[in-house]
Amino acid sequence: MSPVRQQILILHLQSGDLGSPTVAWALYDGALPADAVQMQTGSEYEPPYDSVLAAMRDGWRVFQASPQPERSAATGTGQLANEFWLERNVEVEG
Amino acid sequence: MAIAETEVVAQSELLDVHQMARFVIDGFIEFDDLIPDELSEAVNADELASVNADGPIPEVRWHITDNPHGFYERSAAVRAVHNLPRVKAVLQSLLGPGHVASHSALHCTGPRQETAQQWHVDAGGRRQVRLPGVHPWSFDILTAYFAHDTPHEMGPTLVLPGSHMRSVLGPDVARYKNITGQKRLSGKAGRIVFMHEALWHCAQTNEIDQWRFMFKIRYNPRVPQRGIFNTDGWDSEEIRRYFRMNKNAHNLTGESSAVAQERADWWRYLCGADELADPSGTGAHGDYA
Repeated sequence: MSPVRQQILILHLQSGDLGSPTVAWALYDGALPADAVQMQTGSEYEPPYDSVLAAMRDGWRVFQASPQPERSAATGTGQLANEFWLERNVEVEG
Repeated sequence: MAIAETEVVAQSELLDVHQMARFVIDGFIEFDDLIPDELSEAVNADELASVNADGPIPEVRWHITDNPHGFYERSAAVRAVHNLPRVKAVLQSLLGPGHVASHSALHCTGPRQETAQQWHVDAGGRRQVRLPGVHPWSFDILTAYFAHDTPHEMGPTLVLPGSHMRSVLGPDVARYKNITGQKRLSGKAGRIVFMHEALWHCAQTNEIDQWRFMFKIRYNPRVPQRGIFNTDGWDSEEIRRYFRMNKNAHNLTGESSAVAQERADWWRYLCGADELADPSGTGAHGDYA
């Protein structure tokens, strides 16, 4: 049986609705060898999935979502909200 | 070498309200026509003479204490670029008279560089996370000058327009890789970009067989940054409409109403206007928002 490695896809959506549009994305691929190039900043201008729901339909499993953003004048605006972590296991050459 | 700016540029030469409003919305302003071609060609020759097979030569390798202005001191042409009256007028519009160049660096990216820099904010982050005592609306300026053509595939600096309004610490945005609205500062030789210090940015991969150079200076203000550009028309209906039309500019995850309010406050500060009273007591004065 081939060994399995985890791929992590992080999607940020326009709103807390899992069907709302993707506005930021990052892929961290545990199946790539150490000397391979992971996803780089500025490497893509179209998201791999239009939403978290679209990624789920393609086999990705959501395993973490950011808390609902607490926003006020005191906290201001900082990191991107509506962050979802998805994973997929893929087989690699043993 | 201290590079304190002591000359004062005439009001008519300064940025106007349309240019400054654009800077407030985007967090940067770019120019293609400030620098004569022959000057950029001379700078590029100095840049090419600053690298060899091992990378940048020691004289231009940046170090905050030991070599904070290596290329600037080495290249008369790059000093001439940053002393052009039109360049100085933009700097004075953003920073006021007496601003100081804190440090500068020639960024050199080799041919076929496959890895990019991570998203980051230089030197700390946005104003709320800066040291106590720093004025909430003070900001430094980073210039990015490209002396040669920098097409998209050559990977000029990537910026996220509008990100200067976010409070983050420098490296905390490295998790992100690709973000809607991200923009490479591609353009023809001689392009110079003036960026708010809190703008998210990162150097990019270089897909072609030439060195890519970007020369950066970080400037600190020495006066309150208000009323220091050509503020004629700051409160005109045209400007008000511009801010209203751009209320949702660069909105990514639902922050537009909060950002629009902050822009309005910042705009009034920049223009030397008083803080606006809030008769409703709701915190939403509605001005420019």
